[in-house]
Amino acid sequence: MSAVDPPTLASSETSGRSRRSIMRPDLFQAVLWALILTLCVVPFVLVIVISFGQKIEGAAWAFGFTGANYQRFFVGASWPESTTFLYLNRLWYSVYYAVIAAVLAVLTAFPFTWFMTRMSRAAQSRWLVFLLATLSLSEVFIVMGWDILLSNRSGLPMVLRETGVTDWLKVTGWFDVLREWGMANPRNVKFKTSEFATILTMSYLVWPYAVILLYPALSRLDPSMTEAARTMGAGPWTVMRTVVLPSVRLPLIGTLFLLFVFLLGVYVSVTVFAEPAKQTLAVSVYEAVRGSTLNAPFGAAQAVILLITGGICLWLGQILVNRKGVTA
Amino acid sequence: MKIFAHGFMALAAFVIVLPILVVCASALNGGRSMLFPPQDPTLTRFAEFFLHEPVWRNALVNSVIIAFGSAALAVLIAWPVAYGVWKRRSAASKLLAGLGAMPFALPPIVFGVGLGFMWGFSGGLGNIWSGVISHAVLFMALPLVTISIGLQSIDEAHLDAAATMGATPATTFRTIILPQMVPYTLSGFFFALVLSFNEFIVMFFVSASGYATVTLQIFNSLRNGFTPTMAVAAITFILVSVIVFSAVARFGDLPRLMGADPSRK
Repeated sequence: MSAVDPPTLASSETSGRSRRSIMRPDLFQAVLWALILTLCVVPFVLVIVISFGQKIEGAAWAFGFTGANYQRFFVGASWPESTTFLYLNRLWYSVYYAVIAAVLAVLTAFPFTWFMTRMSRAAQSRWLVFLLATLSLSEVFIVMGWDILLSNRSGLPMVLRETGVTDWLKVTGWFDVLREWGMANPRNVKFKTSEFATILTMSYLVWPYAVILLYPALSRLDPSMTEAARTMGAGPWTVMRTVVLPSVRLPLIGTLFLLFVFLLGVYVSVTVFAEPAKQTLAVSVYEAVRGSTLNAPFGAAQAVILLITGGICLWLGQILVNRKGVTA
Repeated sequence: MKIFAHGFMALAAFVIVLPILVVCASALNGGRSMLFPPQDPTLTRFAEFFLHEPVWRNALVNSVIIAFGSAALAVLIAWPVAYGVWKRRSAASKLLAGLGAMPFALPPIVFGVGLGFMWGFSGGLGNIWSGVISHAVLFMALPLVTISIGLQSIDEAHLDAAATMGATPATTFRTIILPQMVPYTLSGFFFALVLSFNEFIVMFFVSASGYATVTLQIFNSLRNGFTPTMAVAAITFILVSVIVFSAVARFGDLPRLMGADPSRK
């Protein structure tokens, strides 16, 4: 630490000439702060402010200070005469899809990352290129791929029919179970639209993120610890359970919460794969702001609810991490 | 155990590749519909995408302008912020960096809605330049992280030596800090570039149908069903990502950028 201080001191005491040649500190800092505040903070503030505004029939909307948008969100527009929980239902599906998809992604990404970090540095590099390329791939392409794979005309349903799996399912009675789950029409299995397809695509979407987020913790794990446990006679599963898992518990929880918050806002996968009655808040935010219903203040209010839900989760995660950090 | 590990990794890679492979193969379809396996294979869809259809060509040009412009801008803003954290280590500079990374950490749809309002008030809605700024802000977190990692790796003995020999801060910055920071700055630039290329939801709110990027154009055509020409776009994007990240891995230390222990080989 102290090694840094002399140059810092020196830079503040040197002549005005050299200082000016890097940057004029005060003015430059002020500009930088103004820039960041305008571009990173103002958009969020606007969403919150406009969520209290009101729609004007036939025109756009106006600033205001009304809680009507939030009332509509929680109990419906015509409360107290009648109550609907339509938007709470949307929020429920947002949370439901995000939780399951995040848990699935972490459960499958963890062993993968563990095996990857045991490889050579060059092999890790190759896997990272592969993961980053798929991670950066746009949601629209991923949805396109799964759409072809899961569509009724080609892809998995066709494969199942041609190979006789569909007939086998019908004989064994599993077909009726699938129909109850909404994953089959009278003739064949179907994945569009279904919760299965929605969650699968969302989980696929964040899987490379899960690996990238778990990677630092697992690759920094001291190999001498696991080796010591192995020499003392512990089997690979015992080592995993008693040495590896406890030491990466915090990054594991952190990854889960980050993926969850990211998945709350997923839009394309849900519009394509979820049935209309089971769509999420992200979809209705879009409909209110840009789509058919055009009610920007109500859209903003829903976005604020989404933001608060995400915020609460990050906060809960922080508490969990801190408490575990004390006891560990 | 070794067999199980390799089997599991191969299975994971297979599931990851499967939808991408299907999209790529569909580009070869001769007809107008997206079938797998492709029927009547042909390469005319590639010519359509890059040459003949102005809709796709314009979208590609917009995507390229926004990706390069926003990545460059993101690096330009991220540099002084990261440098401030490293140089001052004050709570204020850390707060500034935290605020700069905030749009990337929260659900992008909320940031998109907010930017839509902001550009609506300032008259930027539907212009390319506001799209460039929006993506620069959204992805600033990436160069912020790579540049911070790079600055931490600078040997402080070098800085002390330079100061002892009478170098001004400007000289030290130019001759010691800057050359070491080139690979990290470029990595940050390319991460922002590739993600901007593929981003959808923020651009959707900010463009307000004033222009289309490739991902927007694909989403717009989604209602009419997929066509093989879209798959060409997908192939182009995957190739760009693989080339960019391979270059980062070749010229920089990718495992270290991703947070691996620098001391272990």
